[in-house]
Amino acid sequence: MLNEIKLNMNEMPYPPPKEVIEAAQKGLSNLNRYTNPKELELLREFLADYSGISKRHIISSAGSDFLLREIIHVFSRGRKVIMVNPSFFPTVQCTKEFVTKLVKIQLSPLEFNLDVDIITNETSEPSLVIVDNPNNPTGKILINREMVEAILENKNVLLVVDEAYYEFSGATFADLVEKYPNLSVVRTLDKAFGLAGARIGYLIAGENFLDEFSTFFTFLPQSSLYAAIEAMRDPSYIKKNIELTIKERERVSKELEKIGFQVCPSTTNFLLIKTNIPDVAKELKDRKILIFDLSSQWLPGYFRVSIGTPKENNIFLSNIIEILKAHSWKGHKP
Amino acid sequence: MHREDDKKLNLRRENSIKKIGLIVNPIAGMGGSVGLKGTDGEIYKKALRLGAKAVTPRRTKEFLSYIKKRKDISLVIAPDKMGETYVRKFDIAFKLIGQAPKETSAEDTKRITEEMLNDGIELLVFVGGDGTARDVYDAVDSKIPVVAVPSGVKIFSSVFAVSARAAAEMVDAFIEGTDLSEEEVLDIDENAFRNNRLASKLYGYLMVPNVKKFLQAGKEASSIDKSSVDNKNEIARYIVKHMDKEALYLLGPGTTLKAITNDMRLPKTLLGVDAIYDNRLVGIDLNEKGILKLLKKYKSKKIMVTPIGGNGFIFGRGSKQFTPKVIQVVGRENIIIVGTYGKISKLECLRVDTGNFEIDKLLSGYIRVVVGEKEEMVMEVRC
Repeated sequence: MLNEIKLNMNEMPYPPPKEVIEAAQKGLSNLNRYTNPKELELLREFLADYSGISKRHIISSAGSDFLLREIIHVFSRGRKVIMVNPSFFPTVQCTKEFVTKLVKIQLSPLEFNLDVDIITNETSEPSLVIVDNPNNPTGKILINREMVEAILENKNVLLVVDEAYYEFSGATFADLVEKYPNLSVVRTLDKAFGLAGARIGYLIAGENFLDEFSTFFTFLPQSSLYAAIEAMRDPSYIKKNIELTIKERERVSKELEKIGFQVCPSTTNFLLIKTNIPDVAKELKDRKILIFDLSSQWLPGYFRVSIGTPKENNIFLSNIIEILKAHSWKGHKP
Repeated sequence: MHREDDKKLNLRRENSIKKIGLIVNPIAGMGGSVGLKGTDGEIYKKALRLGAKAVTPRRTKEFLSYIKKRKDISLVIAPDKMGETYVRKFDIAFKLIGQAPKETSAEDTKRITEEMLNDGIELLVFVGGDGTARDVYDAVDSKIPVVAVPSGVKIFSSVFAVSARAAAEMVDAFIEGTDLSEEEVLDIDENAFRNNRLASKLYGYLMVPNVKKFLQAGKEASSIDKSSVDNKNEIARYIVKHMDKEALYLLGPGTTLKAITNDMRLPKTLLGVDAIYDNRLVGIDLNEKGILKLLKKYKSKKIMVTPIGGNGFIFGRGSKQFTPKVIQVVGRENIIIVGTYGKISKLECLRVDTGNFEIDKLLSGYIRVVVGEKEEMVMEVRC
């Protein structure tokens, strides 16, 4: 196992409770068998209950990016796809492969706001709009309820909201799915539930999506399914981890601002930072600390840092300060 | 092994060794520490009087520390502080070329670069700022690729690597045979810059090794990058396919626009404004007067431009020929903006500074940019 501090994948740094891990281990003892459809149904029931929506709208899958990929594959045919830039990179990559017409809306610093009029102006033809809310990597809430309803009033539009960080932001449109057949919400147990290794995603699908997904069925890995069921049986454990992550996020943000970094206010478990120090991600990697360098995909000088444990965050901060000092002779300011 | 085999092996080794030139502008970046924003011309002497310290030695040594172990390069070095002084600190074999006076100037950079070209270098590494890039461009043009190590006060040209380390990676990529891309060299008005105004214009293009950033492995490692040359050709095909034969097209400067005329098998001035109508070239290297004359002749008209990399200017910098009057006659709705995904996605916004505030306001707001055959970006235009 590598002794690295991983602040590059937006994972929850705390493991799930031992009951969840034991459930996953129990799943391993049945590796010669496919998952039991009844247990898949049980997970759907739990997810429906957790999301406050009827079970028929829930579609589970091995990872939310798999669901997004399926949506793009199925629904981009004959539709223009509209996204923001930057966005969740697997989604971006998938659109590059499948989409025949793609419009990206560049989010500009310092505010990274999304003007909903751009979307409504772009949707005169059948369109698939995908918005990650909060946005990855800015960590910002891009759309509110009013904006979502304005987009959904146009029946030509299918709207997919990626709510991977819902538990941190508290912002959701899942309750609108029953009202608007052209809305779907994608969520995951990877982040707040601390189950990134289990890869469980789910779709809260509006009626227009359900038709196409009627034949969609995926077996989940035994251990992932058992872990997810156990986690959903009592999801209260995520509350403490979320609170600690948010508290740490605010602390790290303040510390970085104190030493001169530009930090984007976040509603997630990560921070978008800007620095003029070139190669800061590489220098941290040399010190076995991984952060995500956005400059090859997006604006130069921007990096995304996941919030780790207090100890991990302290190591990250002390190393950043050291790198900053080393660079001060080179004339670089943060 | 037979002697013949030995000879062949040695010959193969010699062939695989790349001859790389290194030239350093020793005064680049000195104005920064004393707040002078540049060292062009006489400002260098003022910087010295204010106690400015040389920046390039550290950047050069940093770069050399990354390439010192390479056995497959042969360095050709400028004398004294233009290269030799720093290379001598390392155990690197080199060949000296040219002569450097005590106080170096732009002319020395140009002259020694030309001597290196005559000596057969395959790649030139230079350490400096935008001014140095201009001097190198004057000598190199598109003869060989370059790697630019940033050391100047003001680095706006996209030709520069982000750091000395990144520059070393570009050298690695060149040796491994990566393809090349054309990157911009900007001419920055230092006097304006000292007054906190960015007045830049496109000076030319230099070829650099086309390096994808080394991404961290994992789920988010993306392969969305494509070569900028392929991307330009893709944009060109798309634009040509959708061109209105009844419209006059005014094409601004830049290699993306040149890719469009290449696709049409028409010539294009790289830094000028040319006009096309019905697949024919109807104007070349036009000034405002020439453009206005053409605009009177044709009913339907369009302007096609690409932003300057890094700062995103579409009007008022690289293409001064598109005056406020020209833009007004053509109209905002007839402006087509094109650019490679790699360039556009790295821009915070598009910018205009035509010198006419009303026109700048007219151009402000959101606008589409064609970045590929099936892809557009909606960008904010700011003034």
